[in-house]
Amino acid sequence: MSRAEKLTDQILERIKGKDVKVKREDILRRMKLLIEEFKVPESEAVRTIMNYLVREYGIPREELFDRDSPLVKIADISKVNQWVSLRAKVVQLWDSNSPNVSQVGLIGDETGIVKFVVWAKASQPEVEEGKSYIFRNVVTDSFQGRMQINVTRTSRIEEIDEDIQLPPREIEVVGSMVAIQQNSGLVKRCNECGRVLNKGVCHQHGKVEGYDDLRIKAVIDDGENVYEIILNEENIKELTGIGLDEALKIAHETLDRNAVLAELKNMLLGRYFRVKGLRGGRYLLVKEISVHKPKADDFNEILEALA
Amino acid sequence: MMRRREVAKRVFAYELLRSTHQIESEGLRYVLTPTGERVNRIFSVAVLLDKEEIGADTNNWRLRLADPTGTFYATVGKFQPEALEAINEMNVPELVAIVGKPRVFEGVSRKLISIRPENIVAVDLSVRDYWVLETARRTLERIEAMEKREGEDVELAWTVYDPDLNEYREMVKKALLTVKEDVEIMEKLEESPHEDEPEEEFDFEEFEFEEEEFDLTDLLED
Repeated sequence: MSRAEKLTDQILERIKGKDVKVKREDILRRMKLLIEEFKVPESEAVRTIMNYLVREYGIPREELFDRDSPLVKIADISKVNQWVSLRAKVVQLWDSNSPNVSQVGLIGDETGIVKFVVWAKASQPEVEEGKSYIFRNVVTDSFQGRMQINVTRTSRIEEIDEDIQLPPREIEVVGSMVAIQQNSGLVKRCNECGRVLNKGVCHQHGKVEGYDDLRIKAVIDDGENVYEIILNEENIKELTGIGLDEALKIAHETLDRNAVLAELKNMLLGRYFRVKGLRGGRYLLVKEISVHKPKADDFNEILEALA
Repeated sequence: MMRRREVAKRVFAYELLRSTHQIESEGLRYVLTPTGERVNRIFSVAVLLDKEEIGADTNNWRLRLADPTGTFYATVGKFQPEALEAINEMNVPELVAIVGKPRVFEGVSRKLISIRPENIVAVDLSVRDYWVLETARRTLERIEAMEKREGEDVELAWTVYDPDLNEYREMVKKALLTVKEDVEIMEKLEESPHEDEPEEEFDFEEFEFEEEEFDLTDLLED
């Protein structure tokens, strides 16, 4: 069956059972003309023909266009192959490693978070992390035992001016600390607002005295994704034995505040950590962090699978 | 939109050494490995065998590193300040974790891959052990994807390298076996830290000193 024939049948499917007689050849001829001759994008061809049906056959516009799938909450998605609409926020986008996938990531609403896949063939506008949308006519699916949402060519994505709240999401990752970012180590914070000072200057309050604090902004990389985390003094002391007092001592002895960061980098970079935390915006808010070590059983498991 | 930080891929030296194909995409350079991994950044744990300054006082260093599957090179210069600082202070041999960018260079007779480290840090054996485990897992996933012919990079890897996947499976196996024993010993030690080898008390009684050797009185009298 040609693409034009498939689309024609999809349109006819929509008006099946309505009290109108539409000739398949009529629609098909127009569809072929638009797609095959004039090379109009499929979505435009479909829209043009639906408009034609509204005009010529008097089919109410709502019946053709607004047959939106019911609006549901993510937590209620449990079956595959259900056509639904969702009001959701894009939580995270991953790099797509297939040319067939235009975007892949997570979307969430107040009730939960689910993976979504926008197929390249769906030719949809790109969504952005942190923005909220109505995902109309998306279809539920299951991949490797977990539910996901597929955005297809019949779906519609509309941005909405609303910030959908997400449930707190705890995640656990094991990864290597591949980088420690600027403004880490022994820092000075503003006495008024607690922001980290840049050369003794606060963004908000100008030149202030400031007070000492210890913190690390780091990148945890598990080979598949990167996570930015912030470690506070307590976390740092637990991992390295260096707390604020020790850090100040190092700074005094070396006459160099940067020596603290160098020391911390030596102790932390390249190591594997298990991090439990809440995803909030850009940073993973650390609840627990510990050094991760391998187990002999893990090796045996793969070796057995290899044998 | 802010550019997403590139993930550091896990690739064994054996596979890295056989990577000769580069891809340019959206202003970034990637190395394609024989099992279809697209690498802009790499994370490796290896032994730094040798560091050699390329020309006297240039502060450009050539590093030779080895993981359980092979030896590879890295170069550090002034554009990698963090790595440079670390290298200046490091003695060889040393087990290191290294994050860096792989680059393919065309030599006269063959292509050579080298890493530009972003940072390099001395680590302990458990880091190496977990890295081997993780890299083994990832490599096997890629081998599986190659078999299923999933995706553009996989197809490209078949065209460019036409790899013998069994060769890569053997490499993974070898790497796992190399460190497995190590991990088992570590586990035993942790279970019973002091039972295996009770520390012998040093017996000073058995030492007999010749009195005069230690008699310094004549020195003091001078």
